[in-house]
Amino acid sequence: MEEFTWVQIAAMSSAGISIGFGAIGAAIGEGYTAGLANEAISYRPQEAKDIFKNALIGQAMAETAGIFALVVAMLLLFVNFDRGSVLTAPALLGAGLCMGFGALGSGVGSGYPAAATCMGIARQPRLSSRLTTSMLVGSAVCQTPSIFSMVVAFILLFFNVTGHPFSPYWAAYIGAGLSTGLAAIGSGYGGGLAAGAACEGIARQPENAGPTTVSMLLGQAVAQTPAIFGLLVSFILLFKGYPEAKTLSESIALLSAGLCMGFGGIGPGIGNGFTAKDAIAWVARNSENAGVISRTMLVGMAVAQSTAIYAMVVSLVLIFVI
Amino acid sequence: MEDMTQIWQWGFQVGDYTFTFNIETLIMTWIVMAALILFSIVATRKISVLPHGYQSLAELIVDGFDNLVKDALEIPNYRKYFPMICAMMMFLLLCNWIGVIPYLSEPTKDLNTPLALGLLGFVIAHYSGIKAKGIKEYIKGYCDPIIFFAPLNIIGELAKVVSISFRLFGNIMGGSIIVLVVSHLLYNLVLPPFLNFFFGIFVGTIQAFVFTMLTLVYISVQIK
Repeated sequence: MEEFTWVQIAAMSSAGISIGFGAIGAAIGEGYTAGLANEAISYRPQEAKDIFKNALIGQAMAETAGIFALVVAMLLLFVNFDRGSVLTAPALLGAGLCMGFGALGSGVGSGYPAAATCMGIARQPRLSSRLTTSMLVGSAVCQTPSIFSMVVAFILLFFNVTGHPFSPYWAAYIGAGLSTGLAAIGSGYGGGLAAGAACEGIARQPENAGPTTVSMLLGQAVAQTPAIFGLLVSFILLFKGYPEAKTLSESIALLSAGLCMGFGGIGPGIGNGFTAKDAIAWVARNSENAGVISRTMLVGMAVAQSTAIYAMVVSLVLIFVI
Repeated sequence: MEDMTQIWQWGFQVGDYTFTFNIETLIMTWIVMAALILFSIVATRKISVLPHGYQSLAELIVDGFDNLVKDALEIPNYRKYFPMICAMMMFLLLCNWIGVIPYLSEPTKDLNTPLALGLLGFVIAHYSGIKAKGIKEYIKGYCDPIIFFAPLNIIGELAKVVSISFRLFGNIMGGSIIVLVVSHLLYNLVLPPFLNFFFGIFVGTIQAFVFTMLTLVYISVQIK
């Protein structure tokens, strides 16, 4: 088959993967938000208009990840990627995989702050604007892993990938997409849990809004570390130069490096989210001890990230040593 | 779009090794430094008990960070670390914001800047830890809970530097890539100003704050 057919095959399948997986997360998050919004309205019917408005804003924030996936899918369908090299095909496939999986976690995660804000407005109607601000900040930081995925997807789509031998670069591009895409699932979900706990904490104890917001930003930032490791491995896979591979094993090593870091980042992201959720909830209740609680949270998260570090070490060994 | 991977560099040879400087990053960093120094000079020119103008802004900043450092460190001589934390935060904030101005770009877009600041925080944290705890207890800390965990703990400490630097680098560089690609696709219509606001100012503020707070917390963990 001629080269351009391969590129078209890759573009079509990649567009499907991108929006297919990307739609999962945003829908789950928005559904969760709407469900708890109903509970909040039944708890305090006088605030129904305000709660409904915040539910819609929260759902729009959760939608952002799905929109990123849709943008990448549209680009794959309608932009002519004919650059005269078959290497464009694995690059397009990597881009779709990356954005599709990356939008999953952040979509589900962004449902938690929106739902907690709706319940919080039912608890404390006067705090509505403060809670909305908190929800927007938390959701925006929670979207960061899907932004990392979009960055890698754009690099794979638009940067000049031609002029290299086909093997092992095909594995490097697909591996780069998988590494960030999969690792972003756990971090997006974990960041969302943390943001939800912060919104609920501020609703329960408005005087402790300051320490709670600081803990939320810290907890979300550290929960995103597995996605950052995935981004690091992706950048190394994308921008390192490789000699032409003689056998299939060198290509498989690079692909395996991407898979390794990708899957290795899912668990620590979710685990860190649990740590952050409970730590932030108790900082809101007990802000005199915010210092020791934050420190314990960070040390606990650092230990929980050990498996992500092992995965990153194995990935780096696969790239540089094998 | 290919010109984004071009880096304006200048190098000189010392023996076998070439020292390269990224000119654009250096110039932008000098601009940020000049702006901060100018602000400090203007704010402290005629110090009075009743502050006016720039002096009140400077007092707000100093007071805010004093409380932040005092709460995080919980030791009597926290004032030792306060100037570095305040300077780091102001530097990072202005670095991330300066990309919004046309023809200027963020120094933190280049990996060298966040990595250098991350290593700075790492060295300060561990030096303070050794000074506060003594070298024996510092080394014993790596053997928790069993001595076999020592290499894993060491890798964990290095991973902290990697994560803190790459978080800042990834967010800022990623934001600039996204703004560039979207502006190229939309022929610079409608969307780019909002994206610039979100990625430059909002994300820049949060990431600068998170970097500073994490450095502060790493220092406080080491000296406990």
